Amino acid sequence: MNEKTTMTRALDRALDHEAEKLLACIHCGLCVSACPTYLQLGDENDSPRGRLYLMRAAAEGRLPMTSRALAHHIDLCLGCRACETVCPSGVRYGRLLEAVRADLSRAGTTPGLWSVRFLLNHIFTSPARLRWFFAPARWLRRRAFARRWAEGKFLPARVRLALELLLATMPEEGAPRDERRTIPLVSSGRRARRVAFFAGCVARELFAHTNRATMDVLAAHDCEVEDPSDQVCCGALHAHAGEIETARALARRNIRAFERSAAETIIVNVAGCGAMLKEYSELLADDAEYAERARAFAARVRDVSEYLIEIGLRPGPRPLHLRVTYDAPCHLYHAQRVRTAPLEMIRRLPGVTFVPLTEAEMCCGSAGIYNLRHPELADRLLERKIAHLRRTGADVLLTGNAGCLMHLRRGVRRAGLSMRVLHPVELLALTYA
Amino acid sequence: MMSWIAELEAILGDEDVITDPERLLAYECDGLSIHKHLPSAVIFPESAEEVVRAVKVLARHRIPFLARGAGTGLSGGAVAVQGGVIFELARMNRILEIDYENQLAIVEPGVINLALTRAVADAGYFYAPDPSSQMACTLGGNVAENAGGPHCLKYGMTGHHILGLEVVLPDGTIITLGGHGADAVGYDLLGLFIGSEGTFGIATKITVRLMRQPQAVKTLLADFLSVEDASRAVSAIIAAGILPSALEMMDRATIEAVEASVYAAGLPTDAAAVLIIEVDGLEASVAYDAERIVEICRAHGARQVLVARDEAERTRLWAGRKGAFGALGRISPDLMVQDAVIPRSKLPEVLPEIYRIAARYGLRMANVFHAGDGNLHPNICFDGRNPEEVERVKAACQEIMHLCVRVGGSLTGEHGVGLDKIAYMPLVFTEEDLEAMARVRAVFDPEGRCNPGKVLPVRRCRAF
Repeated sequence: MNEKTTMTRALDRALDHEAEKLLACIHCGLCVSACPTYLQLGDENDSPRGRLYLMRAAAEGRLPMTSRALAHHIDLCLGCRACETVCPSGVRYGRLLEAVRADLSRAGTTPGLWSVRFLLNHIFTSPARLRWFFAPARWLRRRAFARRWAEGKFLPARVRLALELLLATMPEEGAPRDERRTIPLVSSGRRARRVAFFAGCVARELFAHTNRATMDVLAAHDCEVEDPSDQVCCGALHAHAGEIETARALARRNIRAFERSAAETIIVNVAGCGAMLKEYSELLADDAEYAERARAFAARVRDVSEYLIEIGLRPGPRPLHLRVTYDAPCHLYHAQRVRTAPLEMIRRLPGVTFVPLTEAEMCCGSAGIYNLRHPELADRLLERKIAHLRRTGADVLLTGNAGCLMHLRRGVRRAGLSMRVLHPVELLALTYA
Repeated sequence: MMSWIAELEAILGDEDVITDPERLLAYECDGLSIHKHLPSAVIFPESAEEVVRAVKVLARHRIPFLARGAGTGLSGGAVAVQGGVIFELARMNRILEIDYENQLAIVEPGVINLALTRAVADAGYFYAPDPSSQMACTLGGNVAENAGGPHCLKYGMTGHHILGLEVVLPDGTIITLGGHGADAVGYDLLGLFIGSEGTFGIATKITVRLMRQPQAVKTLLADFLSVEDASRAVSAIIAAGILPSALEMMDRATIEAVEASVYAAGLPTDAAAVLIIEVDGLEASVAYDAERIVEICRAHGARQVLVARDEAERTRLWAGRKGAFGALGRISPDLMVQDAVIPRSKLPEVLPEIYRIAARYGLRMANVFHAGDGNLHPNICFDGRNPEEVERVKAACQEIMHLCVRVGGSLTGEHGVGLDKIAYMPLVFTEEDLEAMARVRAVFDPEGRCNPGKVLPVRRCRAF
């Protein structure tokens, strides 16, 4: 009993918000076929309904928080939240998942996370340390031997995989290159709108070219961009791994950093970060000092595609002559529910033929660091995605999330497809050249 | 001798035999969560051969078993009421063959209903039976329950669309039923197997009929200020000789829940009831029928009759209708649904009485159902953590069931008897009727190990 009261605090709190229909699951099962892990494994325990059943059992004391089944099946969840898109009852699965992961982390039952937890709590919390952590990675990815190592057999599989993913952060042929960590705050000279840019942590270190393209695009839309200096990692990786207190601490720092900016809108170009930023209001709902400030912050956040459509997209004149397909990042489609803006954006690019992708709204298997932790299952999902991609015959695959870009690029290269994988703003930026 | 678990593990691999009670928990109930029973094991076969070998092991050890797909059933049919082994067939999800020339497809039992329609849509075909859970439920489960759905009003139940089955009997024999043309040669065992609720064996291969998509479809939304008016309109439409492809009713409580959900379809939340009416066929006949339906609805007090303007609007209306059961979860943590069928003409009399019963027991009720078929789905919203309320739910269900039988109705339209309606079987069948059914069952499953405790009530220490 004592164990239950101390261990299930976060989950209990989440369940207590029953007025908000947190546990409205009536077991109808419409979610199971939307769940990528259920479709692969066929085990009800690996479906949203099954996981909710385990959570409910833990909250009601039928299962101990130290249950291996609970830890295992919660750990196998991608956190893609496709179930929320189909749930008629409005179960807030993502919130419950974070709550139960926080409890499992406290109970010490989350498997194999020691090193990850160290990184999250001591490296990802500090931009300076992140810079030192990623400096060798930036050096390594430009080396020719890195590719040989990734393709060779002498490194352990897990290391090879990490190396492949790192190589997949390199900008595609023809896309603008940039290695600078400072955001190049270009301006068109006309300053019709002021926006603040959320640069991200991994994105700042490894996706400078994507951030650069975002700046070019915003400049072409007469935006004056700020890069608030005290911003930190959004905390999404932490929240998903059950390090909820670290996530909250990061959220408070970001709220303070962006409160100092007068810009009305906060632009983000990584779907995973955007979803987290928009949910700061929920993350800090019980924080008397920050609840209201978090709500105000969250209301300012826009994904870059969402923002461009909102203010009126103005693509450049250069025709691209490309067949383009789009894979929706889960945290854009399911979590932020930004569904039509990226498609609308693609449709209006000059010289682009859009080819729809079957199961575009299903997780590719990247899911934060899921592909490093569960490579086998992540690869099965990737193969399913690649099979659909192959049938599109597209020249370019667009997706607006750092993790998906790496994972899909790796998959496309391994499958030998001649398909470039780009962030939508990178393609848009090419129309101005 | 090896234990049966070790034998199953030898066939399927350790990973694919679950016996850990913590992992069995998720399998203790299906879509009707009021019935909870823990299985002894869950196994994940991936081929008919594995099913056969596992069934033979269980036959040798005399262990009961049952098949389960997505677990969306609403009669407690996929619950191991006497323990035993659940065959989770979700991994047997391949479409083996699509034959447009002969308008059929051959599938494994774990194929999702909607996945089949999606697979043949571009070629201009569809699979007609469309249970509301079609985005998740499997064709194997559909066969077991002889599942219905909104469009069964015109197209018929699952049974009308199954051409053949490969079936594993409880002793491990594998047999083929049907599959030889329109008329059954010899006994119609195919017809017997469909709707047997998993008590005769496990289907491992299913041949289904594919239908050509109609040339034209029109979907109408009529709203009424009383359920009685809406009910009368239903009878009048059918009496006028029109056969809509679907004719559905949703009451205010349902509309409110749907409109608050991700499936919001723009339904009028101030209406007492809406009818969703669909007609399909040739362009000219659809236009003619739609016009007459509008007239009939107006004549019966419809405030407004709207016609869906495009495919997107049509899809939204249907998504709202099909998400309705789940959406009712917004009202309370648990839901009990009944499935009685009554003569259509009795709707105006029976519906208000059902609301009165719910009110008498102090229960919240929402009705969403296949009105054209007279197939009621009274949903009672409750909180399972309150045992006293659960008792009231059970009592109200019993009264509703008695009422429906009294007006000449039946226990189930499409969900099956399962575990949930066994107690009511004597209301509609004599002891001799039940005895005959029990004898048929014993032919397929003499030891009573195949989904035991379902369909037929147990009396005198034996399954009827």
